[in-house]
Amino acid sequence: MASHGLILALGLLVGLSVTVHAEPLDEPLKPLPPIPTLDPKRVQLGLRLFNDPRLSVNNTLSCASCHRLGKGGADDKPFSLGFDGKPVEFNTPTVFNASLNFHQFWDGRVDTLEEQVHIVVTSPAEMGSTWKTVLQRIGQDPDYARGFDDAYPDGVTQANIQGALADYERTLLTPNSRFDQYLLGDTDILTPREKFGYQRFKEYGCIACHQGVNIGGNMFQKFGVMGDYFQDRGNPSSADEGRFNVTGDESDRQVFKVPSLRNVAVTAPYFHDGSAPTLERAVEVMFKYQLGREPMKNDTELIVEFLKTLTGEWEGKPL
Amino acid sequence: MTVLRRLGLLFIGLLLASILLFMYIQSGAQQAASYIESRDLVRQLKQQDAIWDNEVLKSRMALSDNYDPLVSPLNEMARLWQRLDAIESDPARHVPSSWEQERDEYLKAVKEKTRLVERFKSHNAVLRNSLAFLPTAEDDIQAQFGQLSDADKLQLQNVAIDTYDLLLSAMEFAHLTTREQAAEVLLGLNRLDVNKERLPEGLQKSVDILSRHIALILREQPMVNDLLKGIEAIPVAGRLDTITSLLDKDQEKAAAKYQRNHILLLVFATLLVLILIWLAIRLMRSFAETKRANNALQTANDELELRVEERTRQLKDTQSELMDTARQAGMAEIATNVLHNVGNVLNSVNISADLISRKLRSSKALGLGKAMQLINEHPHDLGHFLTEDEKGKLLPGYLNQLVEAIAVEQQGLTDELAQLSKSVDHIKDIVSTQQSYAGANSLVEPLVVSELLEDALRMNSGALTRHHVTVLKEYGDVPRIMGDKHRLLLILINLISNAKYAMAGVSNHARNMTLKATVINDETLQISVKDEGEGIPAENMTRIFAHGFTTRKEGHGFGLHSCALAAIEMNGHLTAHSEGPGTGATFVLQLPLKLAEGEHE
Repeated sequence: MASHGLILALGLLVGLSVTVHAEPLDEPLKPLPPIPTLDPKRVQLGLRLFNDPRLSVNNTLSCASCHRLGKGGADDKPFSLGFDGKPVEFNTPTVFNASLNFHQFWDGRVDTLEEQVHIVVTSPAEMGSTWKTVLQRIGQDPDYARGFDDAYPDGVTQANIQGALADYERTLLTPNSRFDQYLLGDTDILTPREKFGYQRFKEYGCIACHQGVNIGGNMFQKFGVMGDYFQDRGNPSSADEGRFNVTGDESDRQVFKVPSLRNVAVTAPYFHDGSAPTLERAVEVMFKYQLGREPMKNDTELIVEFLKTLTGEWEGKPL
Repeated sequence: MTVLRRLGLLFIGLLLASILLFMYIQSGAQQAASYIESRDLVRQLKQQDAIWDNEVLKSRMALSDNYDPLVSPLNEMARLWQRLDAIESDPARHVPSSWEQERDEYLKAVKEKTRLVERFKSHNAVLRNSLAFLPTAEDDIQAQFGQLSDADKLQLQNVAIDTYDLLLSAMEFAHLTTREQAAEVLLGLNRLDVNKERLPEGLQKSVDILSRHIALILREQPMVNDLLKGIEAIPVAGRLDTITSLLDKDQEKAAAKYQRNHILLLVFATLLVLILIWLAIRLMRSFAETKRANNALQTANDELELRVEERTRQLKDTQSELMDTARQAGMAEIATNVLHNVGNVLNSVNISADLISRKLRSSKALGLGKAMQLINEHPHDLGHFLTEDEKGKLLPGYLNQLVEAIAVEQQGLTDELAQLSKSVDHIKDIVSTQQSYAGANSLVEPLVVSELLEDALRMNSGALTRHHVTVLKEYGDVPRIMGDKHRLLLILINLISNAKYAMAGVSNHARNMTLKATVINDETLQISVKDEGEGIPAENMTRIFAHGFTTRKEGHGFGLHSCALAAIEMNGHLTAHSEGPGTGATFVLQLPLKLAEGEHE
């Protein structure tokens, strides 16, 4: 067995030394697409709006208040605080790579980032504002008025504010993670332990849900396939009903969008309820309630090491 | 009538043109192009739907662990559908309700299919995971069995076999999901549950995990199968086919309509062309007509021009004749005046000559002859005679008396001759004035206005005296001016003469004529002639200066006219004022004041 491994390892080394820039690997996980080229005027407006607290009714919260780009595009609290200082119902998902998710929000309430903007701005728990107020504030700012007149034929409108924010968010991709480089053929970039971690990730079946370009974010799944997570956690809330709250379909109870694992190492705490403070804890919960498996010793550690290779770069710097 | 016909023709032309335009807009390749694009979009939609189905099956067969391909066709379909809907929602393309119905049906089908695919993804993921895990779990259990002591192995042999059987039947179930198979798996699970109690701790846990996964397969496999059936049953492709047939049907209709429009277009275009040809012929005809008319007009015009020229020349001749006549008439009038005056003076010449001849006839010089006869009768005894003779003694005394008488007589004759020569001078004056008038050239010379007025009066003096006109002179302080003596005289003589005639009928009061000369505002010389005669009726006021206007039987209507002309020639003007019949009239001549050299204002 050991000799086989040695030969394999030697073969790998020889192969790598020959072809440094090998073909991209054919894996269930896919590297990030390039950042789309969008109208820079609109993206610039989106950037300003993203950091503008005037979107919230009492001028206290901007998008960036909870989606902190310095904190992995999410909040470091289990629940971010709304405009009224009260915690919201769900853990804040990261804004990075959000455009690659097939639906938005934990319960997949909306399909597009534009609709996501609308929900957050008007949510009584989050920004608590109305479009009338927002349009008034933005429209009265001569800088914004000029910017919107430049970027859109019809100036400041609700649709254009949503569009500008969504366009900006579409540029918030975090390319160049070590794992992406590995997928693109630079197989040397991962340590053997990280490669083993990836191996375990696939073997234990994490890959069943966390796959594709965003390593998740392309399907719904019941939280607690192999056990009742919510009973064990206790203190159930309406948010725990997940997609049922959207569809009213009995089979959608406790079903959530599978989150992306990109940058997962920098977006603690985890799950829709922010109940897992560390990656290790999150992996353990997944083993128990989703996979129904007992991890062999060290496997959790290896998987966590692998997960850390998923952290990408923003503005040329690692998150 | 022609206007009406033209309007009608225009109307028909416009009607035809607008029909053509309307039909051009109506028809058009737009419909066909849209149809082709729509058909292409439907084809692409079907393709994406097929890709979607294919990806679902690939996931089902565990050929792919990546679920992105189950998301992307839907996005692509949404994009394609948006384009298709944008084209086909055009109310011109379909009976609106039919398209809306098709759209709703399609969207409903896609929504249902999406829902089922989402559920399929969730269930399939966990099912595949558990199925993939089975061999591992079995290996795990068998390995643990291997580690047992031989006695235990023998005792638990049937448990191991049961576990293996269960694994096999579960895998079989995954391929052949029948109720019987399900019952068998369930049976195996129950048996394992019972057998589990006899297993050691570690093995129990592994078996537990295995049975949980098999239970999951038992639960999820039928669900996934049902979902697949459901997905298969969703008629997305069928809806797309229905849409295609709707497109075909409406395209057929549109094509038929297009064909009809085409024919109608041809018919109307032909009509329009015919009208245009007819109009062109008409135009050419009317063009020829116009040309002919133009020629005739040109000829007539030339004739007319000739006639006008002829008439103008005649008129000119007449005018110059008239001018000559008028001039002669004017001269005649002046000559009359002159002759009157000359006649008057001649009277006094006559009287003087008569007186002289009478005086000469009764001259005392005859007594001298008688005295000389007495002397001659006494040539020898002259002394004697003078001293002795009775008669002779008286002779010296008589001669002395005679000398005195002749001296008186001579004095009287000399006086009378002086009077005569004065009268002749007067006549010479009058004649020379007349001669100076006869010249028409404008000659500006220094004039004293009062002298001028006096001259004019003198030339009329005979008539004025005959008509018992009293002349009142109100000459203001008028400086010496530069003026055309002859024109001024013409005007004044005329005005004075007119005033005189105007007062011819006056018998109830004195015939007063007032001559006035003043300077107004240092720039205008005003001379007025006022009479107290018959006056001018208002209706004549406007015509009074007109050529040929006169109220006198022997008048020729030229006097005032020529006066007005003369005034204008001197940059001045002549106006008439009268309160009406019987109130007299005033004629005012105003001229720009032009001071003679050496005069000061």
